[in-house]
Amino acid sequence: MPKIKIDGVEMEVPAGITILQACELAGLEIPRFCYHERLSIAGNCRMCLVEVKPGPPKPQASCALPVADKQEIFTTTPMVQKARKGVMEFLLINHPLDCPICDQGGECDLQDQAMGYGFDRSRFHENKRAVPDKELGPLVKTSMNRCIHCTRCIRFATEVAGVEELGATGRGESMEVTTYVEHALSTELSGNLVDLCPVGALTSKPYAFEARSWELTKTESIDVLDALGSNIRIDTRGAQVMRVLPRMDDDINEEWISDKTRHAIDGLRYQRLDRPYVRKAGKLVEASWDEAFGTIAEKLGKLEGGKIAAIAGDQCDAESMVALKDLMAALGSPSVDCRQDGAKLDGPRGSYIFNPGIRGIDQADAILLVGTNPRLEAPVLNARIRKRYLHGGRTAIGSIGPVADLTYPVERLGAGPATLAELVEGKLGFFEKLKAAKNPLIIVGMGALAREDGAAVLALARDLADKLGAVRDDWNGFAVLHTAAARVGGLDLGLVPGPGGRDVEGILAGCEKGEIAAVYLLAADEIDAKRLGKAFVIYQGHHGDAGAHRADVILPGAAYTEKPGTYVNTEGRVQLAFRAAYPPGDAREDWAILRALSERLGKTLPYDTLDQVRSRLVAVNRTFAAIDQQAAGHWGSFGTPGKPSDQQFVSPIRNFYMTCPISRSSRTMAECTASRAQLMAAE
Amino acid sequence: MTADLIHFFTHNWLGQAIVILAQCLAVTIPLLVAVAYMTYVDRKVWASIQLRRGPNVVGPFGLLQPLADGLKLLLKETIVPSSANGVLFIIAPMIAFMTALIAWAVVPFDDGWVIADINVGILYLFAISSLGVYGIIIAGWASNSKYAFLGALRSAAQMVSYEVSIGFVLITVLLCVGSLNLSKVVLAQSGWFFNWFWLPLLPMFVIFFVSALAETSRTPFDLPMSEAELVQGFQTEYSSMPFALFFLGEYANMILLSALCAVLFLGGWLSPIPYAPFTWVPGVVWFALKIAFLLFVFSWTKGTLPRYRYDQLMRLGWKVFLPVSLAWVVITAAVLQFGGWVPKL
Amino acid sequence: MASLDRTARSFLLSELVGGFLLTLKYMFKPKVTVNYPYEKGPLSPRFRGEHALRRYPNGEERCIACKLCEAICPAQAITIEAEPRDDGSRRTTRYDIDMTKCIYCGFCQEACPVDAIVEGPNFEFSTETREELMYNKDKLLANGDRWEPMLAANLHADAPYR
Repeated sequence: MPKIKIDGVEMEVPAGITILQACELAGLEIPRFCYHERLSIAGNCRMCLVEVKPGPPKPQASCALPVADKQEIFTTTPMVQKARKGVMEFLLINHPLDCPICDQGGECDLQDQAMGYGFDRSRFHENKRAVPDKELGPLVKTSMNRCIHCTRCIRFATEVAGVEELGATGRGESMEVTTYVEHALSTELSGNLVDLCPVGALTSKPYAFEARSWELTKTESIDVLDALGSNIRIDTRGAQVMRVLPRMDDDINEEWISDKTRHAIDGLRYQRLDRPYVRKAGKLVEASWDEAFGTIAEKLGKLEGGKIAAIAGDQCDAESMVALKDLMAALGSPSVDCRQDGAKLDGPRGSYIFNPGIRGIDQADAILLVGTNPRLEAPVLNARIRKRYLHGGRTAIGSIGPVADLTYPVERLGAGPATLAELVEGKLGFFEKLKAAKNPLIIVGMGALAREDGAAVLALARDLADKLGAVRDDWNGFAVLHTAAARVGGLDLGLVPGPGGRDVEGILAGCEKGEIAAVYLLAADEIDAKRLGKAFVIYQGHHGDAGAHRADVILPGAAYTEKPGTYVNTEGRVQLAFRAAYPPGDAREDWAILRALSERLGKTLPYDTLDQVRSRLVAVNRTFAAIDQQAAGHWGSFGTPGKPSDQQFVSPIRNFYMTCPISRSSRTMAECTASRAQLMAAE
Repeated sequence: MTADLIHFFTHNWLGQAIVILAQCLAVTIPLLVAVAYMTYVDRKVWASIQLRRGPNVVGPFGLLQPLADGLKLLLKETIVPSSANGVLFIIAPMIAFMTALIAWAVVPFDDGWVIADINVGILYLFAISSLGVYGIIIAGWASNSKYAFLGALRSAAQMVSYEVSIGFVLITVLLCVGSLNLSKVVLAQSGWFFNWFWLPLLPMFVIFFVSALAETSRTPFDLPMSEAELVQGFQTEYSSMPFALFFLGEYANMILLSALCAVLFLGGWLSPIPYAPFTWVPGVVWFALKIAFLLFVFSWTKGTLPRYRYDQLMRLGWKVFLPVSLAWVVITAAVLQFGGWVPKL
Repeated sequence: MASLDRTARSFLLSELVGGFLLTLKYMFKPKVTVNYPYEKGPLSPRFRGEHALRRYPNGEERCIACKLCEAICPAQAITIEAEPRDDGSRRTTRYDIDMTKCIYCGFCQEACPVDAIVEGPNFEFSTETREELMYNKDKLLANGDRWEPMLAANLHADAPYR
């Protein structure tokens, strides 16, 4: 522990950190542009200059200088001030004065630091540099005149996103950040470039010129477009969600979010259900809540519980799911299911969560991917695996399942359950690597579980974990990677068929045969609506997607930005999302709709406020009491041993950009899909 | 034929009714026009004193302004507050307006030009002007508003106070005339303008004029409707025509008191110099000029003096005017008695 | 003696008469007011009247939708919405000023980096309905076109002091 003195205050700091980090520990903010906590050190902006003794009699870049014992550091001396002012003046020489038309205006590092170190006029009378703008795809807008060459974007693309597509050409004034051959970035994390850029050189294209940072109301929330539960900040203006930004959470998303999370929000503006509809003579007509409830009450009142079924969708909050479960129980129906894709998961908690936690990836020293393409299913998690690969000494990573470029080298073992079975028997070489690893990690995706023989595959995976000793007191290396944000919450609440109940496949089959007469779809759109047959379909949701098209009664609900909700991510962490905007028109919070409907059906649910619903959640499952914590999964026997088919594993996600009603309605996502298709075609 | 007509208009009840109606109209219409233009003159005089121009847009020199104002008031919505007593609320302005009009029955415009040449003219006037306060009291009560009620109370107290001194002033004049008939009062002043009562009874003239200001709630005695504290007093809740009736009544009262002042102290219709060519001018013109002068002084006063405090108003009425006028009654009576100038009847 | 003097004065109404004479004298002095609709007082180049959005001489609107005026407006009378125009430039799709909220402080024109929003010399824009005072972009641009010579002259006159 070196002892150093910062501005005359003596302190002890961990060895190996840089002076900039030491200053942060001391509570001093050092101005910087190129330095970023999660990227490698570049040391090229020179804004972080400090005076260090002993050392050469000149200012030193604090971001790149490690601390040493008996160092004296000065951050406010005239030398430092003069040096920073000089650097700022040089940076501003070529930076255009277009803050009024720059989207970064108001949240720009250069603007902020120019307030501290800038000079109020220019001494540069020559012409400013002019750089042609680059085309980086439908999400990132460039204005390269504003670039200050911090290279954060280059380092992010290369290190975190794992696409070596950005680079710098030329030197000095001629330096340009470019893709060299112009093409759209092929990463699912490109939105983060915009956050990283300290100036307005890279800005968000869909959000271009739409709002200013000071106009926006900021709400902390949770993302539901994948199962990661990334922490996000929703920026709204009036009733409209203008943008989504990541929130720092080292346990989940660090400070990255995927492009879908960030840019699918324009889907919240289109195809919305803003009033109830009732099907009359084959056509959906607008109706009042009273009318819609009346229609439902008339239909359901006559039915016995066994003929009613309910399916919860992939983006539901826990509150609405518990209300649905309670309502179905009150109606006497055992047929409730939250697994639209038919994943064979209903065992103990340890069997369906990402047991080691996302943070656990950082400790894994051998990783096996089973039936999953994390790059499409959870790009931020994929970046985490890549980080482990880079920092963990080229961690061995094997994959059984779809062929894909995961941005890190993967040893492809096979394509189907047969390979998994061989691995369990220790026939493959990769088994030894896993066996040798201290913390082996087995990530099982929905591509392996959402199949007919999912239970058998699950049993195989469990056997493998046991054989590898991956489940110990200090390490549980069995991890299920979900694709639906509501799935773990639904399983925690027990939204699986009760005794004599039907699962999704059973419900659909029942509908076709006429054994099920009414189906309640709670924002469930990923089922084959044609198979609902002649059943009376109640659809409660926020978008006019597959479910709503088939519905007989539509009850307009709220999207994730429009209701306070509880979500459980794939690692079993319970997180709270807050309301950023109000639902459009007559739409209401989902649990409240179910509560109101229950009263109309004469089965009033025993909660009137959100707090009471949340108490009910805790009553159903204690894990809901531990907000923001990952409760350990109970490990027991699960899966059904059997011989799986020899069908290959395929990832459930074909098009990363369109996986849910919101992203399917989004124009930005449509552009991304087109752009990606073009990119693929070019390759 | 002519005799028949004369007979019809003098003896037939219908004819008499027509004559009376015509007389009423002959007084009322010029009066209302005078009221309208009084508002115009008021505004012009105040404007001049304050170095402004006053109304000058509607018509030449703004002469149509009163008509525009009247039209505006006529077309506005009549608002009756929900908590008010509706019937009394509407009746009150009518009372105020009517009492201001019927007093004109006994005012002589020229020799013999009077609707009712009764012997108790002054008493009649005195009675009628006392009735006017009922309109205000009723308005204040019926509005069911604290501002209106306070304004009405102030108004009532103020009128009662100053009527006392007005009474004594009238007595001094009566002592000099020996009749309650207003025409006789005028005739008693015949001669040069310095023979009129204003000079011999100068203190009474001043007291009468000041009391007239108080009676009509004009500055500096406009406490019942002071905008700053009572937001127009008893008129607070009034709008449109009821408001206009109060307004008309108030100005008609002002003109009435000016006329009374002219009759009592300025020789009514008499010309100031009792020789030709002045005597060629019709008496009614002299009378109108005198009223106009007094009305100008009304406006002038408003442009000059600030408002009294309420206790100052009461002090002036009871502790200054009452003793002084009482003393002057005694002095006048004594002078008449011992100077041998008691009027012969 | 003094009290006698005061009593005499008050009974002889000397102060009253003095006051009346003073007001009488003023009645005949020349008027100080201007005869407004026909004559108007002089206006400073800094006069802050009705708003206008200006254009460049080539007809291009100056406003670049930076929203600084919206941000600084203490009465929150300005509402702006923006999006990229077809040529990629940053333009407003909506520029509304609620003239009933505006307090005519002039902060918007101070904040404007391109002299687009200005408060012109016009103060005669009363309307018969409230709605007419909700100015939109078209109205503001029309104002700018109408008053441009004066607006430019005023800005020029005031430029040395900025």
